[in-house]
Amino acid sequence: MARRNANGGNGKGTAEARGSALYEVLKGIDFERRELVDKSKGVGLFDLVKEKDGSYRCYSCTLCERTCPVDCIEIDYCPEFEELPFDIEAERAAALATLPGESCGAGAACVMGEKPAGFMPEIDMTKFSPVLAGIRAGSGLVEAFHATQEAFGWLPRVALEEIAEEMRLPFSRVFGVASFYSQFRLQPVGKHVIDVCMGTACHVAGAPLVVEAFSQELEVPIGGTTADGLFTLQTVNCVGACALAPVVRLGDDETFGRMGPNEARKLVRKLRKQEVGA
Amino acid sequence: MTPARRATRIDKALQAARDAGAYIAADDKAEIRVCAGTACHASGRVALRKALEKSLAERGLTAKVAVVETGCHGFCEEGPIAVVRPQGLFYPRLKPKDIDEIVATSVVGDGIVERLLYKDPSTGAALAYEKDIPFYSLQQRIVLALNGKIDPFSIDDYLAHDGYTALATVLDAADPEAVIDEVEISGLRGRGGAGFPTGRKWRYCRANPGDTHYLICNADEGDPGAFMDRSVLEGNPHSVIEGMVIAAYAIGAGNGPVEGYVYVRHEYPFAVERLRHALAQARERNLLGDDILGSGFSFDIRINQGAGAFVCGESTALTASIEGHRGMPRGKHIRTVAHGLWGQPTNLNNVESYANVPWIVNHGAAAFAAKGTATSKGTKIFSLTGKVVNGGLIEVPMGATLRHVIFDIGGGMPDGREFKAVQLGGPSGGCLPAALLDDPIDFESLVAAGSMMGSGGMVVVDDSTCMLDFVKFFLKFTAEESCGKCVPCRVGSQRLLEILERISDGEGTLEDLDRLETLSDDIIEGSLCQLGGSAPNPVLSTLRYFRDEIEAHIIERRCPARVCRPLIRYTIDADACTGCHVCLGACPTQAISGERKQVHVIDQKLCIKCDTCRQVCKFDAIPVVDAEPALIEGRQQ
Repeated sequence: MARRNANGGNGKGTAEARGSALYEVLKGIDFERRELVDKSKGVGLFDLVKEKDGSYRCYSCTLCERTCPVDCIEIDYCPEFEELPFDIEAERAAALATLPGESCGAGAACVMGEKPAGFMPEIDMTKFSPVLAGIRAGSGLVEAFHATQEAFGWLPRVALEEIAEEMRLPFSRVFGVASFYSQFRLQPVGKHVIDVCMGTACHVAGAPLVVEAFSQELEVPIGGTTADGLFTLQTVNCVGACALAPVVRLGDDETFGRMGPNEARKLVRKLRKQEVGA
Repeated sequence: MTPARRATRIDKALQAARDAGAYIAADDKAEIRVCAGTACHASGRVALRKALEKSLAERGLTAKVAVVETGCHGFCEEGPIAVVRPQGLFYPRLKPKDIDEIVATSVVGDGIVERLLYKDPSTGAALAYEKDIPFYSLQQRIVLALNGKIDPFSIDDYLAHDGYTALATVLDAADPEAVIDEVEISGLRGRGGAGFPTGRKWRYCRANPGDTHYLICNADEGDPGAFMDRSVLEGNPHSVIEGMVIAAYAIGAGNGPVEGYVYVRHEYPFAVERLRHALAQARERNLLGDDILGSGFSFDIRINQGAGAFVCGESTALTASIEGHRGMPRGKHIRTVAHGLWGQPTNLNNVESYANVPWIVNHGAAAFAAKGTATSKGTKIFSLTGKVVNGGLIEVPMGATLRHVIFDIGGGMPDGREFKAVQLGGPSGGCLPAALLDDPIDFESLVAAGSMMGSGGMVVVDDSTCMLDFVKFFLKFTAEESCGKCVPCRVGSQRLLEILERISDGEGTLEDLDRLETLSDDIIEGSLCQLGGSAPNPVLSTLRYFRDEIEAHIIERRCPARVCRPLIRYTIDADACTGCHVCLGACPTQAISGERKQVHVIDQKLCIKCDTCRQVCKFDAIPVVDAEPALIEGRQQ
């Protein structure tokens, strides 16, 4: 890849350039790359990429090991491999300098999963001190996230970095755990959080139509926040108020039962009107 | 000697209550019980309580008539609920404006407010007393016995209703092995879904050496449509704590230290709050913590909150989550009872399993084993939801038939619709047809039928639900909740979903059905945990019992329930339409046009099939019909 060349390395990126036998077999077949679910937690097992001459491209910079959110990569000393004449520290520094946010020094594209947010509120780090106090009192990682989310409404990156530092954990590990649980929000939320219950009873009673109506009226996808920072639309697996299906929760306090698409649109319009009036 | 000592211990704990002058709820006292479960809260119990207190205060009755906020009564469909004692009058679906009339008639006077009474949907008769309502009278409540009777915030209420006597019995006997024997003889099996014998699990855990033994209560009730664990924690948290302390004693006494965790969903704020309160109270009364009731045995419980990952209900994923990792399960060749939380022997049971333990100790294993079937003993709570008249929590002995639960207690289908299927066991379970309604419900028979007990969620659907759409819902859920560790589950469930989507778009082939079956088998074989191992169950059971309906999507390109969007079309019935303009105003895409008092027309090109018009129409003038075959053909090209 071009990026690697910019580093002065020996990148001959694609399989085609390497003329691999596999490429010859595969190039005639028309592949359809299908999307995995958005939340999918992986794409397969890793293997080391080999150069044409049989040598490995990896030069053990250990960046992938440090970045892996699930600690599944371990770089170990292996006497059978020839040592590459690399100044690892210099390479790593160069890689980090030229590839901000990327993890593999050898030019594979492993980008930390942060989507740009539609709007970004100011983060008041004074709210963070109870979380630190909690960690010092022995709370676990997940509990620390709960406390952070309670303070900010979401998990800002700076807060995650602070947690990592306080708990003496790699940031990658902290981020990996935060991204696993669907309740933790890595994006800021709007003033009104609309939770549409997608439990079985609600589904049977027509919840998909309700969430669709919200999505159309707010013009954001599920999980999205409107650009003005007023509304966030979310789904929740089951709030356990199945007798009132379909259920919509507004913030932590208000619950609306037996909703339909028309009621959903009316609710949004009502809230919008309140905001204009306020 | 022993009974005397036991009495002394409980008396001591109770005495503290009496000294403090705490209010103890009782059936023969003048009190008004308001359900404070999540469903009743959502339908407005706070306003109800305020109106009640105001009304009582105006009449100067505040000191004479107590307002008790209890846990979930179970009859969620009729919320918010209030019960007036000592008569036992049951008032459902209350509004704050009704309260004054109730106080005037039934509290001050001795009358009954006829218009507010519960009407039996099958006979139409008004039923005044809680005990007469079939929904309650046909149940046999062990775990839920005190739900709706006691204040979950009051340990005194629980103590006064024989609470913690089982713990005192166990501590007096000082024979942990005997407790395990008792639970084993009772035949109690894990209520979390798999049905592993609880006593045997305790025995294994006790036998495994470790620095500390861990005891976990699994309250990560992730199945959508199941809420029995939440209701037990909300309504009677002390029964779970008592069960856990007994289990801890059975596993840990004379065997090294034991520590306890409750892993509870973060989506259940009331349950967490009440449990936290109950734990503090139990510690205060020396029923938890160091040297419990002077027996020399110490045990404490911590609360750990989940964060919305379904897979964390799996035992090894749950322990990973407590340890602060991503909640990914590991292989079960190393058993949790030997090597669980922090690498130590760990016993993990469900909320309902623990809540059964005090009853077994108090009433004896034989009494418990007398209920249920040959292999499944005791009772089971089901949360009955979906298209059914009396939705809510139902506790019946194992072996009751589906018909008994859905029609006798649940009141059958609303609006005279036809029963189509019942889905048991959440996303891991299966859909059972009307032909199996008379089968008894126990662990084995459900598995044989292609479903499973799961945690006890029971969702009833009628002929307006498309089975294909229903299965798609479950698969979408498992595909999203797959932790991603095993490829067959992560990718396979996604592919299953794609095939189903193809069929519901009217583009499926009959070979797709074979593909579904083969892929399902592979997913079951190739997954480490039960999330993947049971994810294809809804597909397989639907193919087994509702193949016709799925084939209709393929062969006739028709959705019999008229749900799958590409195969349906909204029309206006010219005879029924009054031209009232309501649908026209509600349509989000301006697809409906027409003059006032003239029959309206839907522009099929603009219609997004959002169902709004049909829902707002007061004259049933918008029938959903099959899409024209020509349209489907056209779309395909």
